[in-house]
Amino acid sequence: MFTTYDLLDDVLTLRDMVDRFFDEVSTTRRRVEFPYINVYEKDDDIVIRAIAPGVSSSDVNVQLADNTLTIEMNRKEDYADKPYLRKEREFGSYKKSIKLPYYVDPDRVEATMNNGILTIKLTKHESVKPRKITIN
Amino acid sequence: MATQVAKRTDRNLDKKDYCLVPPVDIYETDNEYVLKADMPGVPKENIEITFNNNELEINGKIDEAYTSSDNLTYREFTLCNYNRKFLVSDKINVEGITATLENGVLTVTLPKREEAKPKKIEIKAE
Repeated sequence: MFTTYDLLDDVLTLRDMVDRFFDEVSTTRRRVEFPYINVYEKDDDIVIRAIAPGVSSSDVNVQLADNTLTIEMNRKEDYADKPYLRKEREFGSYKKSIKLPYYVDPDRVEATMNNGILTIKLTKHESVKPRKITIN
Repeated sequence: MATQVAKRTDRNLDKKDYCLVPPVDIYETDNEYVLKADMPGVPKENIEITFNNNELEINGKIDEAYTSSDNLTYREFTLCNYNRKFLVSDKINVEGITATLENGVLTVTLPKREEAKPKKIEIKAE
């Protein structure tokens, strides 16, 4: 979970080991794929945030098909042709699909990039909102 | 993006603490050292770079909007403040240090002092 590898992590997280033993689910969810996302839900709105440092908005592709949202991003290398003392950052192309809990309004999707964080705002479609049925 | 670095221990859970170590790339040219650090979620005004006793320290205060767990239903990442220190040689022109932030990537340029730059040695003809 946004963490660096520490040798002791694997040794000391006993709970993690036990969990993995039983159902292969890690408590820290560390082995997820890029881009890392968080999902927030409130009333009829869903907000999805993805970590995308060094990715310009033109290299992000957000697609909505039915109720599946796909985030695709290409993080281009910014390596200089010079000797490196340290190389810790990672680059590459990432793609992730998120199945949304309900049908969202495709005309009201809002995606913004700010300081390396992609935020996508979605709203529940009118057609799936509860409706009062009048009795004749 | 992967080594999205930091040690997450229980004591780090206080968001006020610095608990993320940004991954960095550092390269050297003839005239300067360039350091690039991934610090997503930090606005420009929340970055603090200090140079003291050959120690370069980078602090980044995370935008509070990204730390809140209100209405959170699925989590793959946790953000909090960034901190990292580097020991730097004396050969840096401290006044000349500059930094820029773009798309969550901080670039710090540390120019070398004149005497530390490579010099071409002329070979005199006999």
